Amino acid sequence: MVPSSEHTNTLSVSQLTGHIQHTLEDGFSSVWVKGEISNLTRHSSGHWYFSLKDNGAQLGAVMFKRQNESVRFIPAHGMEITVHGRISVYAPQGRYQLIIDQMLPAGQGDLHLAFENLKQKLQSEGLFDPALKKDLPKYPERIGIVTSPTGAAIRDIINVFARRYPLAELLLLPVRVQGEGSAKEIADAIDVFNERRDCQVLLIGRGGGSLEDLWAFNEEIVAYAIARSKIPVVSAVGHETDTTISDFVADRRAATPSAGAELIVPDHEELFARLTKMGQSLSRNLLHRIDRHEQRLSAISNSYALKRPGLLIEKYIQKLDQCQDRAIRVSREKLGISESRLESLRLQLNALNPLSILERGYAVLSDSSGKVLRSVDQTKPGNQVLVRISDGELAASINKVNKHKK
Amino acid sequence: MTEKEKSFEVLMGELEALVAKLEGDELKLDDAINHNEEALKLISLCRLRLESASQKIEKLVRSVDGDWQEKTLD
Repeated sequence: MVPSSEHTNTLSVSQLTGHIQHTLEDGFSSVWVKGEISNLTRHSSGHWYFSLKDNGAQLGAVMFKRQNESVRFIPAHGMEITVHGRISVYAPQGRYQLIIDQMLPAGQGDLHLAFENLKQKLQSEGLFDPALKKDLPKYPERIGIVTSPTGAAIRDIINVFARRYPLAELLLLPVRVQGEGSAKEIADAIDVFNERRDCQVLLIGRGGGSLEDLWAFNEEIVAYAIARSKIPVVSAVGHETDTTISDFVADRRAATPSAGAELIVPDHEELFARLTKMGQSLSRNLLHRIDRHEQRLSAISNSYALKRPGLLIEKYIQKLDQCQDRAIRVSREKLGISESRLESLRLQLNALNPLSILERGYAVLSDSSGKVLRSVDQTKPGNQVLVRISDGELAASINKVNKHKK
Repeated sequence: MTEKEKSFEVLMGELEALVAKLEGDELKLDDAINHNEEALKLISLCRLRLESASQKIEKLVRSVDGDWQEKTLD
């Protein structure tokens, strides 16, 4: 293709590198990579520079002093490692490299990768959803324990329960907590408790150990058993700093088995003290209530009326009389109003009565069929008409019709 | 259900409900005295439970036929 200055898609080197930088740095901002160390330089500044390679490729890598200070082994040429970091593009030299923040020997690195992958998978399946977390019972009667019958953990757990809350019954389902098949035993134990339904809460866990030792609690099968448990589960694995998948899925997590036991039961001495305090405050409350009633009672019994009961009756009699008077007055008033109103209605009606108009000297004419005459056109000379005046009727005949012009 | 059969949780629940009622001001004096008496009874019952509790610890052991059995933990 012939380059053309008019070609609108032509980029400068800086622009293209800028795009590449953007793409790579955004796309690989957090990656786990496995490979072999090659050409390691531990610079006097404290930073480490090396290549990470396998049979097919190699990748420039740097781990700065601040991050490499927490690495607990000494890396060397040829060592298989697993690292976590981000890709960074160095534009002036057109090079990209891996900026490392975590480094693990390969075996341990595999476990870390497996842990991260499973955590992500279960998270996306919603197993860590805070909305799914069940509340623990306040005063459990029976507590199911899933741990090794021989380790320090079970002793610690029993001690805490015995000291804090001897009310609860403990039911241990002994399992192996490390080694081949231990995860299945733990998961099955959770299912067994769910079939029995006699415990209100489950404590699963073990004492501290290496990442490999704790591994059973990082397995999917345990995670799913916890997730489907209808009984609330407390996960208490290892020491303070250890985190396992079971911690994320469980309804509550505790740093150690002892802490798990403390989380599950109230302290019976605190409860005892609370009950004592409750009793005291109840008595105080009742005395106070009685006091108030006594005050009211004495206020009433000191009142004027109660001291002279006769007065009270007189007052009532008087009031009764007043009521009676008032009732009578009111009926009378109502009656008066209706009488005068009737009279006025009567007068009103009277004014409209045609007979009363006749009394003033007017007459009404009707023809032989009784139809009232309103116009001279309704009759003619010789016709008989009936003339009604105030005190009777006259039979008359028409002599002449004389219509007024309008 | 008799008081003896009720779990500690049930007893505490009843007690807390009574206390809440008594702390409100709506009650008649008669009811307050009755409730109070009942609450005090529950308190001493709960205290007795706490005092006399001795932890029972058992373990589940699978029997030959595959059923789980409770055995005392030694």
